[in-house]
Amino acid sequence: MTTTSATGLATLTVEGLTVHYGGVCAVRDLSFSVPGGEAIGVIGANGAGKTSTLKAVMGLVPRTVGALRFGDVDLSVVSARTMVRHGIGYVPEGRHVFAGLPVEKNLLLGAYARKWNAATRQTLTEVYDLFPVLGEMRGRLAGALSGGQQQMLAIGRALMSRPRLLLLDEPSMGLSPKLVEDILAVLLRLRTEGLSLLLVEQNAKLTFEATSSCLVVENGEVAMTGTSAQLRHDPRVRQIYLGL
Amino acid sequence: MKQRIAVAGLIGLALWFLPYGLDSYAIHVVNVILIFAILAIGLGLVMGVAGQVNLAQVAFFGVGAYATAILTTHQGLGFWVSAVLAVLATVVVGVVVGTPALRVQSHYLGIVTLGLALAFTNWVTNAEIAGGAEGISAIPAPTLPGIDLSSEYLYYYLELAVFAVVLTFGLFVVRTGLGRRMRAMRDDALAAGALGAEVPVLRMTAFMLASVYGGVAGVLYAGLIRYVAPESFNIANMFLLLGMVIIGGRQSLIGCVIGAVSLALVREALVDHPTIAQVAYGSVVVLVVVFAPTGLAGLPTRIRALLARRRGHQGTAAQLQPFQPYETSPADDTRRTTAILEVEHVSKQFRGLKALDDVSLTVADREIRGIVGPNGSGKTTLFNVISGLYRPTAGRVRFLGRDMTGQAPYRLARAGMSRTFQNLRLFGDLTVEENLLVALDRSRTRQSWRYVLRPISVLRRDRDLHRQAREVLTRYGLTEFAGLAPKALPYGIQRRVEIARAVAAAPTLLLLDEPAAGLNGEEVRQLSEIVRSIRDSGLTVIIIEHNMGLVMSLCEQITVLASGRIIAEGRPDEVARDAAVIEAYLGDSMTADDLPTVPEVTR
Amino acid sequence: MQVFLQTVIGGVSLGAVYALVALGFSLVYRTMGLVNFAHGNVVTVGAYLASTFYLSTKLPFALAMVVAIGLTAAIGLVIERVLRPLENRDFDLMLIGTIGFGIVLDALIIMVWGATGRAVPSPVPSAPIELFGLRIRTYDLVVLAIAAAATVLLVLFLSRTKRGAAMQAVAMDHEAATAVGIHVGRSNAIAFMIGAGLAALAGGLVGPLLYVSPALGGALGIKGFAAAILGGFGSIPGAIVGGLAIGILDSFTAGHFQGYSELVTFLVFTVIIMVRPTGVFGERTVNRA
Repeated sequence: MTTTSATGLATLTVEGLTVHYGGVCAVRDLSFSVPGGEAIGVIGANGAGKTSTLKAVMGLVPRTVGALRFGDVDLSVVSARTMVRHGIGYVPEGRHVFAGLPVEKNLLLGAYARKWNAATRQTLTEVYDLFPVLGEMRGRLAGALSGGQQQMLAIGRALMSRPRLLLLDEPSMGLSPKLVEDILAVLLRLRTEGLSLLLVEQNAKLTFEATSSCLVVENGEVAMTGTSAQLRHDPRVRQIYLGL
Repeated sequence: MKQRIAVAGLIGLALWFLPYGLDSYAIHVVNVILIFAILAIGLGLVMGVAGQVNLAQVAFFGVGAYATAILTTHQGLGFWVSAVLAVLATVVVGVVVGTPALRVQSHYLGIVTLGLALAFTNWVTNAEIAGGAEGISAIPAPTLPGIDLSSEYLYYYLELAVFAVVLTFGLFVVRTGLGRRMRAMRDDALAAGALGAEVPVLRMTAFMLASVYGGVAGVLYAGLIRYVAPESFNIANMFLLLGMVIIGGRQSLIGCVIGAVSLALVREALVDHPTIAQVAYGSVVVLVVVFAPTGLAGLPTRIRALLARRRGHQGTAAQLQPFQPYETSPADDTRRTTAILEVEHVSKQFRGLKALDDVSLTVADREIRGIVGPNGSGKTTLFNVISGLYRPTAGRVRFLGRDMTGQAPYRLARAGMSRTFQNLRLFGDLTVEENLLVALDRSRTRQSWRYVLRPISVLRRDRDLHRQAREVLTRYGLTEFAGLAPKALPYGIQRRVEIARAVAAAPTLLLLDEPAAGLNGEEVRQLSEIVRSIRDSGLTVIIIEHNMGLVMSLCEQITVLASGRIIAEGRPDEVARDAAVIEAYLGDSMTADDLPTVPEVTR
Repeated sequence: MQVFLQTVIGGVSLGAVYALVALGFSLVYRTMGLVNFAHGNVVTVGAYLASTFYLSTKLPFALAMVVAIGLTAAIGLVIERVLRPLENRDFDLMLIGTIGFGIVLDALIIMVWGATGRAVPSPVPSAPIELFGLRIRTYDLVVLAIAAAATVLLVLFLSRTKRGAAMQAVAMDHEAATAVGIHVGRSNAIAFMIGAGLAALAGGLVGPLLYVSPALGGALGIKGFAAAILGGFGSIPGAIVGGLAIGILDSFTAGHFQGYSELVTFLVFTVIIMVRPTGVFGERTVNRA
């Protein structure tokens, strides 16, 4: 499917992002950018502040940020519900699908910011094309899908808004290795279609294969950065993960 | 303290001389206000202190009044005998109205109690014994030798005495163990249960207390007006009473009294325009709820906090002191091998999702066991099954050799299990010291009769608990935070308070759910020291943690969960080299060969 | 059997009204987790507005209802706006806040319309229809038809329109709903508006059945709430089943216990809640640690 629009390849720039929950500092002065058409990964062990980073970019949690831009748009003043209108799709952690609604309704709600017209129908067909299983299950309640199918649905829903940048929060969570492979195939396909990705993951292998470069975060701060190829063989990544 | 006694004395004096300046109508108004104040204290206890939405307080009031009326007029009993029986009858009704609280809470409880209150009005309007819509008149005036209680001036002193007694008793309850436990339950029933508070008994006690206050108020009302009719106990009056408690400040008994007095006065001032008064107090209730949920009584604190912020005060200068390790209790080798906890083939299913799948593990005495695993692997579910929050779909949990599967959390807590929570569940409206006191207090709620019969022993016990709390505060270096609200503290200190609270409950087995989450490096080091010392004092510890460095260095045995199943178990160095573990965490199944050699784990 | 069926029929029309009240409760609870204790007073406002336009302004009954529904919905908007800061935060405070609104509305009703009630004549011929030996009032049929139509419209709105789907999405996951671009606050306001509109519809319909007085809403509100809980709070079929059940229960207790009918109804309700707190179609209530 085509995801690049006339505005071309916009870069997401994040500078000095900090998130506090109550008294705890979940993310501390984080800076990174996602160049248009690129895929960037943020990896780290549980509780390292990855989810908070994504939510903060989306504006779903209170944050302070030095600069937050997507192309020419200053996202730091954009409310969470208008992010999607600037071309940013969000796939929440833990498959937050609308459990009591049918699959197709979930997908259509993904296009809430657009008119529900022929073009939307076209996108819907494209999503079913990408995830055939969703097409088979279109009338089923989302809550009745398996974990892997719900993850597909969450991604499909985000694609329905025809985003230029997709924020993904741990799409591999709780999935079997086989399903993780499927997710990887989807992410690679989306990349070839020109979609920018910001992938937050615990699963390092998936991330290294899906992205071109990565940040390794620990305790809300960047511990390492590098290209995915370099990091893949760096023993320090393992140390950070396994706490050796 | 001296200041407070002086203020109370002055108010007492003023109340004593009050009737001298009032005409006969005014004293009547004052008498009615005192009755409402007693009712409001009762509602404050059940709703503000214990957090039980009770919209049947006015029915308690009615039962007290009607029982007095019926017993004196129909049965010809003396006023005081009737009064005692009436209060007893109200307590029985209180138990009935409170029973739904064992099953439902919040708005459900609100509607059920409201329904029961309506049922009461419906009954008195129809029952012949209650005189129907006309009610019962000609209730005899109470008699006291030498005092003519048909004079409203003298009746005032009777009411004043009763008011003083019930207010003092209310304050006594709120400021000692029972009240603390109720407030803890109001803030977080789950955490209170996990600390051994018998939530069902506590809820019933709250309703019984409220009914006693309602009954006493009802008796006084019957003696004062000497006529009862259904409309005195209708829903409009219930809401008026609610307005008093909310506007005054439901969490403070003094606030309830202030609310009752001020609202009653306003209503009296607008007696010719009752609807305007109603619009006014209804609006105030809405405004209070949105802008000042603690009511009038809470205003001074809020204003002080606001002023402090204006002046740029950055909280307090309180300092965290170092932890003082416990004395090592000598290991008893005969117990060393006994299993403290046995989890046998436990599964837990949530609507199609298998959160735990045939999990078995055994934890030995004085072990520090780590449970790790990727997000969503079922670690917290396992804790919830162990501590009784969830009933497993299959399998058994044996604690200290006894089958405790599916027991209520408070029973497990009383049997010697204590836990912390992933997202911190401190009692927000209690101070740090009170949080500890709730855990230290191991008395039974059903022994609350002591409050009436042996108040001195209650006070002595409470003083003893305070001494123990100070010891715990010193040990955990928290002394300077004793009087502060937990929410105002930095996260790391809150975590330490929660651990101190869990240990204060004197458990055999301590469950820690992600104790290092949100801590910085130094705090993690201190945590490690604290946990080891706790173990050395004779406890067994199970710890869920993401911080692998902490788990690797602290635990003797590690259990690794993935997708609800145990995929590895063993010593830290074994587990870290396990291919299944590496795959679960990193997502690849590369052999452990290209792992760096594991440094010797420091113990 | 004859008597039994006649009792059931006697309860059904009032049951349909309870169901409408319950639907309003459920819709608001479902979308924003708010239990509106002022709902009963909103019903009274609706009943008075409808009867005023019908009796004093001489509007046709249907038109009077429409105007009343519109005005009452606006009151719903006000309540939602004031209590918005408490949404999804403190349950008990919200509950008390709506009680506060109920107190205010109650007083305003008395100020505007006085403390005495009024009888509203039936807009259709009052002679009952005889069917298989059962006597059915024509107005009861009107009530049933309108209640059924309203329910169908609500279901269609929720299942067929974009806005309806969005409202349900907000209820299920407000963060994900925000991320797809839904304005959660506006969605809640609309839910509240529809809830108040349903209350006004119930109030307008009940006018010719009962006597319109300031006390009307209190009883209807509590029974409607009981119906909502009985069916399973937040469930639409639950609200309907619960409403009809309470209506029929009412009819039986009125027949068997006369003056004590309310007492019996509430006792039965209490027992049912104790036995099955989640109601007939209830779900959720998973204890979270």
